[in-house]
Amino acid sequence: MPNKCINEDFRMVLEQLAGNLIQGLVLGAVYGMATMGLSLIFGVLKVVNVGHGAFIMVGAFITLWLFNALGINPILAIPVAFVIGMGLGFIFYYTTMQRLIKAPELATLLATFSIGILLEEFIKLIFGSEFRGYNWVVGKIDIGITVFPMTKLYACIGSALIAALLYMWFNKTRAGSAVRSVVEDSEGARVCGVNVGGAYALSFSLGIGLTVASGVLLTMFIPVGINPYMGGGYTLKAFVIAVLGGLSSPYGAFFGGLVFGLIENGSYTIFALLPGVEPFALTRFLSFVILLVILLIKPTGILSRK
Amino acid sequence: MSLLKLENITKRFGGLVAVDKVNLEIQPGELIGIVGPNGSGKTTLFNVISGVYTPEEGKVIFDGTDITQFPAYKRAPLGLGRTFQIPRPFSSASVRENVAIGAMFGTLADHVSVDGSLEIADRYIKLVGLEAHKDKEAGGLTPVEKKMVEIARALAMKPKLLLMDEAMAGMNPNDIDNMVQFIKRIKEEEGIAIVSMVEHIMRAVVGLAERVMVMNFGAKLVDAKTEEALTDPRVIEVYLGRPHDEKTWKSEVWKEEKDSDG
Amino acid sequence: MKNKITKYYPLLPVFAAYLFLLLIGRNISGMWQLVAMLLFYCAMGQAFNIFLGMTGYVDFGYVAFMGVGTYGMALAITHLAHIEGLGVVIIIIGFAMALLMSTLLSMAVGAVALRLRGAYFAIATIGVNEGFRFLIEGARIWNGSEGLIFTAQLNQILGREAASSLMTFWADIMVLIIAALAALVTLYYMRSKIGYALTALREDEDAAKVMGINVTKYKIIAFITSSCFAGLVGATSWALKTPYVFPPEVFEIHYTIEAIIIVLLGGAGTLLGPVVGGLIYGISKYYLSIFMPGFQLLIFAPVIIIIIVLFPEGVVGMLKRRIKGSALARFII
Repeated sequence: MPNKCINEDFRMVLEQLAGNLIQGLVLGAVYGMATMGLSLIFGVLKVVNVGHGAFIMVGAFITLWLFNALGINPILAIPVAFVIGMGLGFIFYYTTMQRLIKAPELATLLATFSIGILLEEFIKLIFGSEFRGYNWVVGKIDIGITVFPMTKLYACIGSALIAALLYMWFNKTRAGSAVRSVVEDSEGARVCGVNVGGAYALSFSLGIGLTVASGVLLTMFIPVGINPYMGGGYTLKAFVIAVLGGLSSPYGAFFGGLVFGLIENGSYTIFALLPGVEPFALTRFLSFVILLVILLIKPTGILSRK
Repeated sequence: MSLLKLENITKRFGGLVAVDKVNLEIQPGELIGIVGPNGSGKTTLFNVISGVYTPEEGKVIFDGTDITQFPAYKRAPLGLGRTFQIPRPFSSASVRENVAIGAMFGTLADHVSVDGSLEIADRYIKLVGLEAHKDKEAGGLTPVEKKMVEIARALAMKPKLLLMDEAMAGMNPNDIDNMVQFIKRIKEEEGIAIVSMVEHIMRAVVGLAERVMVMNFGAKLVDAKTEEALTDPRVIEVYLGRPHDEKTWKSEVWKEEKDSDG
Repeated sequence: MKNKITKYYPLLPVFAAYLFLLLIGRNISGMWQLVAMLLFYCAMGQAFNIFLGMTGYVDFGYVAFMGVGTYGMALAITHLAHIEGLGVVIIIIGFAMALLMSTLLSMAVGAVALRLRGAYFAIATIGVNEGFRFLIEGARIWNGSEGLIFTAQLNQILGREAASSLMTFWADIMVLIIAALAALVTLYYMRSKIGYALTALREDEDAAKVMGINVTKYKIIAFITSSCFAGLVGATSWALKTPYVFPPEVFEIHYTIEAIIIVLLGGAGTLLGPVVGGLIYGISKYYLSIFMPGFQLLIFAPVIIIIIVLFPEGVVGMLKRRIKGSALARFII
């Protein structure tokens, strides 16, 4: 019966779309978490970390090495990456960023940019520039309209957990409150006795720690294609997400990530249906267009309240 | 026709009303003072006039033109000049270049050349007494010298109206007196109207301004001849925080200013 | 009259340097390749300096303009090669195309990005080269990710010998001319109201506005000028020297990195800076690639950081300070 066939086709397309969108949300959670560090650093220090992607790459390599060389599973790699990230953050803050607090914006942009390059070249030196991956099989989960490898689910849950932890830290701990006060008004905070310099150092390190840890989660999602230059693509995505969510809000970043995941997956599906275009490239072009549109209309972010 | 007319200017920041239905008229060549305690909205008002902010309500009419919506850079060529409380010279440029920039983009913008601007700059640098520092980087000067660069730069614009924001902040009484004489001189020689804005250095207004507008909580409290305005009981209350006691006011605050004026 | 001539004195060291390079290249065998590379870096630096140096804004997507210029030349050659008798005119049309396309792209990017301040501007531009590259690949315009190869067409237009001489010599002379032109324009801007406006907005954008400077207009002027020169450099150094163009190659971010290094190293906002920077960087890179291949960026990245933290004025900036007030000061700005 023709009617029944059409209904079924329609249902299938809807299911596929729904499946894609759910995948997008899951991926989006990871993207969002990966951007939280960027927003934190900008919110507190007003510094745009242009080398953001490179730190994600470092996290990816930490995961790679721990898994392939030491057989340690990626979930355990998360705290390791976080700690290493915080260490890197402290080092870069005290050697470079601290001296550039008063410098013009150009200086910090170029400094973070160069740090990113430094990391890429350093990793290339140690690991070489080939594309690598790892294989961590823990089964799949079937939710009817779509199928997930468990790793992706872990990545999504991990991201949400970390976002929640960060939220608690900000609101329940003294250090967190101190940092929040600096975001609001650094001079005011200073006058109230907050160690602003310390807050800067802590926030920067925390932001880098989060970013490196997110590299682990991202590889849990995409365990292949790991190479020293993989960060570049993520930097752009992170900026789009950060701007979506309001450049200075880590939570905004998380939700921005969800939105972005949806858009990315949705647009890829649509582009794949169009003849004569390359969907992957076009999707990346789209994210750039989104960035420009938001910057034009509402640079403080669609999801922020300002 | 008045040079500057503010009609019902209201500026809000979220829920805070920083400037509340302020009306003001300034005639060409007038020298008036705007006075008010911290937070009274004076700086915000200045920012609305010079175009840094756009008011939610009201109009700014300069020399017959409604400039309320004009971006800041369009106001300078019309003749609106401004100095900042904390001087903002262009640090890496020389004093001469700084002042020349004033000439290049001010009221003479369309007919002056770079060389012409440099000549004008030389004249004003001489006027403020910074000839010796002409070619030095503006960033390396003392705060008072930077202030003079600001003033020279604003004058080089050949403005019709000059907004001076706390021009005497951080100066000792002697310097303030010199500055008062200097401002009087500028007004006479250049024929420009001047608005001097101060918070508490009454010396900067007494003996200088013909008229004073006192602001409080964003609104105009009083707008009258200087002595009248400053002895108004409401003004005294605002500053001293207690009911009018003319004797105390005159002895505690007024006396100092009046005595030194001789 | 004297004033008019002395205004252009600062060009002397720049032109002297280029002349020197030219002489070395022609007279010492085997040096031409190095000279060509140095000329490329100097030209790229001069072009980039017009924007980065004079406004203080970082355009992280700068290489896109070089890429677009390359495409302009490539398209002209590919599509007009079959027309008999046009010969060299096609190359000229190629330059015109390169200029047109970089102007259009910079107007498009500028319309959005230049309304934004510092950090937001950098964010907006960081994806320009990526965005444009993925547009070309994604929408499969101009042959998409396969790129264009036009060696055959070039031979057809100029004849084999001339084509070869173009690729190995005349293209580099053109780069030299472009570098010299860029220096001329830089000096012209510096001495005119444009330069003063740019200095003001670089130092304090808000104060500049109050002084009557339409900051957006001047940013646009600097941006489009800088992009046009980038397009010309791409058209010669890339399209005319190696007659093929692939999106991933011509939109490679590392050229932007090199441009940044060159301008910073030499002295951002100075006239002689990009020349000095180009020479130091080019020579260092050349010898590094011989003795320690693959290490270049690893060494240069911390160098940028050191320059930013310790020597933000660059070589020429520091030099200017030292010779202030002396007779030499008129030549080095």
